[in-house]
Amino acid sequence: MHNIYTSSPFAHNNSSVQKVMLQVQLAALPALVVHLLLFGYGIVIQWFLAVATALLVEYVMLKLRGRPLLPNMTDFSALITVTGLVFCIPPESPWWVVVLGSAFALIFGKHLYGGLGYNPFNPAMLGYAFLLLSFPAQMTQWTLPTELTGLHRPFWDTFQVIFFGLSTEPEIYTGATPLSLMRSGLHEGVSAVNVMMSPILGSGWFGLNAWAWVNIAFFIGGLYLLLTRTIRWQYPVGFLGALIITAWFFHTLNPDVYAPVSFHLLAGGTMLAAFFIITDPVSSSTTPYGRLIYAAGIGLLVYVIRNWGTFPDGIAFAILLMNIAVPLIDRYTQPRVVGHSR
Amino acid sequence: MSTKTMRMSQLSHQFLTKLSAIVPLAKHWLYKFHGGIFPDYHKDLALKQPLRQGYMPKKLILPLQQHMGEPATACVKVGENVLKYQVIAQAIEPRSVPLHAPTSGKVVAIAPQPLPHASGVAEMAIVIEPDGLDEALTNPLQQDQLPPNNKQDPIAAFKHTILNAGVVGMGGAGFPSYAKLPNQPGLVKHLIINGAECEPFITCDDMLMQTHPAEILAGAHALATAFQIPNIIFAIESNKPNAIKAVRHAIAGQASNSVVKVQLVEVATVYPMGGQKQLIQELLGLEIPHNKHAIDIGIVMMNVATLRAIHHAINLGLPSVSRFVTVSGHGLKEPFNIETMIGTPFDELAMLAKPASSINYSLIMGGPMMGVRLVNNHVPVIKTTNCILANPPEPIHQAMACIRCGECAEVCPVNLLPQQLYWHAKAQEFDKTQDYKLFDCIECGCCAYVCPSHIPLVQYYRNAKAEIREQHAQAALAEQAKQRHEARLARIEREKLEREAKLAAKKAAVKAQAAEATPKKDVTAEPATTKLSAREKAMQAAKARQAAAAASSKKADSAAVKSEPAAPSAEDKRKAAMAAAKARAAAKQAKQAQQSDKKSATESVSVEDKRKAAMAAAKARAAAKKAQQESSDA
Amino acid sequence: MNAWLGILLFLALAVAFGLLLGYAAVRFKVEGDPVVEIIDQKLPQTQCGQCGYPGCKPYAEALAKGEADVNLCIPGGEPTMLEIAEILKKDPKPMAAEATEPKPPMVALIDENLCIGCVLCIKACPVDAILGATKMMHTVIAKECTGCELCIPVCPVDCISMVTEEVSSKNWKWPQPNSVTRIPVEVKAVES
Repeated sequence: MHNIYTSSPFAHNNSSVQKVMLQVQLAALPALVVHLLLFGYGIVIQWFLAVATALLVEYVMLKLRGRPLLPNMTDFSALITVTGLVFCIPPESPWWVVVLGSAFALIFGKHLYGGLGYNPFNPAMLGYAFLLLSFPAQMTQWTLPTELTGLHRPFWDTFQVIFFGLSTEPEIYTGATPLSLMRSGLHEGVSAVNVMMSPILGSGWFGLNAWAWVNIAFFIGGLYLLLTRTIRWQYPVGFLGALIITAWFFHTLNPDVYAPVSFHLLAGGTMLAAFFIITDPVSSSTTPYGRLIYAAGIGLLVYVIRNWGTFPDGIAFAILLMNIAVPLIDRYTQPRVVGHSR
Repeated sequence: MSTKTMRMSQLSHQFLTKLSAIVPLAKHWLYKFHGGIFPDYHKDLALKQPLRQGYMPKKLILPLQQHMGEPATACVKVGENVLKYQVIAQAIEPRSVPLHAPTSGKVVAIAPQPLPHASGVAEMAIVIEPDGLDEALTNPLQQDQLPPNNKQDPIAAFKHTILNAGVVGMGGAGFPSYAKLPNQPGLVKHLIINGAECEPFITCDDMLMQTHPAEILAGAHALATAFQIPNIIFAIESNKPNAIKAVRHAIAGQASNSVVKVQLVEVATVYPMGGQKQLIQELLGLEIPHNKHAIDIGIVMMNVATLRAIHHAINLGLPSVSRFVTVSGHGLKEPFNIETMIGTPFDELAMLAKPASSINYSLIMGGPMMGVRLVNNHVPVIKTTNCILANPPEPIHQAMACIRCGECAEVCPVNLLPQQLYWHAKAQEFDKTQDYKLFDCIECGCCAYVCPSHIPLVQYYRNAKAEIREQHAQAALAEQAKQRHEARLARIEREKLEREAKLAAKKAAVKAQAAEATPKKDVTAEPATTKLSAREKAMQAAKARQAAAAASSKKADSAAVKSEPAAPSAEDKRKAAMAAAKARAAAKQAKQAQQSDKKSATESVSVEDKRKAAMAAAKARAAAKKAQQESSDA
Repeated sequence: MNAWLGILLFLALAVAFGLLLGYAAVRFKVEGDPVVEIIDQKLPQTQCGQCGYPGCKPYAEALAKGEADVNLCIPGGEPTMLEIAEILKKDPKPMAAEATEPKPPMVALIDENLCIGCVLCIKACPVDAILGATKMMHTVIAKECTGCELCIPVCPVDCISMVTEEVSSKNWKWPQPNSVTRIPVEVKAVES
């Protein structure tokens, strides 16, 4: 029969970790579709590669750690980790990049710390940082949008490129992302406004480039997450708020050197980070105000790294830096308990 | 108010409830405290049936402890016939309340019975077999015979009466009501009548407000008059339109002849609105400071059922012997509310509600959010039992790791960080849990209700609280032991000095033998007379215990002989006992010898030695046995 | 030349800081020996003498002097050993086998039918928790008893036994989920 000494409550709102993770996966669908339309089939192949890696790694690690398989494999947290990672990787990068990144993220980012709930760092960003530092060449050469190159590579060709690297015309198909373009442009003394006019940045559906569209898709998915209360409002508000304010401030200060707010919002992984990456509750602050500070700190650091750092997009490093600050933030942002003075 | 405005307010409430599920800020238009949840209420289950009354149980089990504080002391004997309202257990210890017979009948047992408590332990209870006549004692509370000093003081008289009537808080905590009230008039600014009843399934207060609103108000008025309370607020959750209507009607009927007007407030339906801290925050915007009680900020909150019991005690002179109970749950075909006697067994009531299948699962006392899962279904309704819940067990979710999502902090009505508390409670870091204000937790269960990882958070907090309390108790005991040890060392030192002084004095005298014997005697007599008297007291207590044991135990005969000082056999008896003791001592020595023999006899101890020792031991044992038999024969 | 300057500079610095530390040691000297008190606070105060010292305070004093091992307190068990090691900045040592399992709190109980009134246990009790007089039956004040078991070996008639406190609704503790004894519910089936 059942056991005694089970304490109240005996009711539950039927939420579960699985449901939360599936909601996040669902919300990433629009971005996946847009990515597929604009950058070709690469993302799909990469995603399946990452999921296969995740399943294998989870299985092996759980066995090694002697943990029950079923509940830990079906919490879908690894799925979210690798999905976040896949969107950061160039869609036609070699297969071993995503495999290595996913494995590193899950093994070193999660399991070695004791599994889900015990990791101090965001696993996806840890995996991404590992890739960026280890394979900078593969990680910075992005497949250009099909719209731009005019070549819609069929599925099988993409498959071959990823697995065997049989690309015949590499110069045309891969190039810099808007962020690295802006970076090198500013470095050469071109004004920010002129960089914005360049063909890669300026053309696309409705005059918005492909990266901007992916960002918009993430924004839509993020709104869904907000409405279903899967994520807390503090993350996007704090992150985007801090980014907008700093970007606006510097742009007004000197429009020639500092890119406009819209550029920062729609370039790189801004929206992916705002709604899907920094919202990982395990590695973020856990108090209401703490979350706001945590997110705002990431927004600020992203801007700093984008403008003055050595890497084009600083989201991964900004998040990892703020992960370190989480215990401190938690300590000083405890809410006032009813009946206590501050 | 017309039904139209009522419907409007309900619609807007529904809209805001939906809205606040998406935008948490919308909650603040609904109610004032932090957090809270909107569970499925299932209140209509038991409200479909009319109130049941007059059920005569086959057996009544009345635990001596039905409240917080000390248990009552039984004052009836097995086999005695009792009348309804007769006192069957007295409040001798402080913080105790008396117990009355709910109906007439015969006391069939005074023995430990399983309690409706989470531990499932059995504790002393009086079992009454009703005779079905329901003969009542006239004037059970004898209010006309109050102690003289109480007559002048209405407050003392009031408190005396509700103590005598055995009134305790009937909302759940079971705090003796008299202890909640101050000793002077004018200290209480607000009396809050708690009709919120926020727990799912429970409708007994709702039913009480629908059927006896005037009695609740009469109790409130009696309280307000005695303590000169200027404001009375009657709070009812918005999901009880019939109760609100009935209470409003009753207030209108009483308005003309009462001094204090009752203010009816419809509060939002949200769990845990009925919590004391939450309802005060909602109604008055006040927070009870940490470590203080509501009375410290001039507020007394009473549950509707408690006020009715006060009305019965003060105005009708009747003790508290029955209460409204909801019998509900998905496992019952005909859930209902019943006014039943205290002591009615749960399983009998559950049977009345036509269980859909045999109840082979454990019942819950109280609601699903804060109730207690019973270890044994054959436990009685006590004064704090508001609901018997029969929900067939559902598949248990495996608890997963905490992902620090903070959903629990979002719903915590006292604004704690349950995820941090859990972290430290699980690691048994109890000082850290106190840093995170563990003892402000009201155990409402909101956090565990929303936890996506299905962690039994409340149980972690309950465990941590219990461990901390035990640690404090142990620290106090250690301190006491330390002091006693130091006192003992000081005493030994003093005695030694005294003895030395005596010895020095005696040395002047000649005889050494006398010098050895007398100081010893003196010393035992000397060390402070208080010590002796304490010892004497203990001896008397021990003797009394012996006498008590004699009444019940199987050694009745021999003990009776012992306590008879004049009996000639007493001498023999003592001799026999001495012989027995001597024999036992010998046996022990023999045993020890044997043991030491065994130890040393690793190689070369003859078998004969061993046998001898064994023989001696056996002889001694036999002698001891014989002596014992003799003594018991004598 | 520069090398000499460096050496001189560091020498000067060393002397200056040495003087400063020496002054601080004199100026901020802690009076008394609070370590004994701190350790005594952590000891369980059963006064059982199982450590080989005649009470908790003497053991604390011996510890403070560095004469005793940190792992001698049997009733305190491993938690106390760890606390002592922490205070004294010593390495923790494994406890003796009988102290690894925490014992439930126990009190002594005298079988009143067997007691011969020899007062031996009264003399043995470190906290004066036994009442009685010569040739009179003795009794243990359960509230004061620390469960040190010192009275058991001295009793000539073996009438003292250790009993655990009975579980009641007052001292019952919620267990941690999934941790301790989970006994099946004894639910009586109620037939419909």
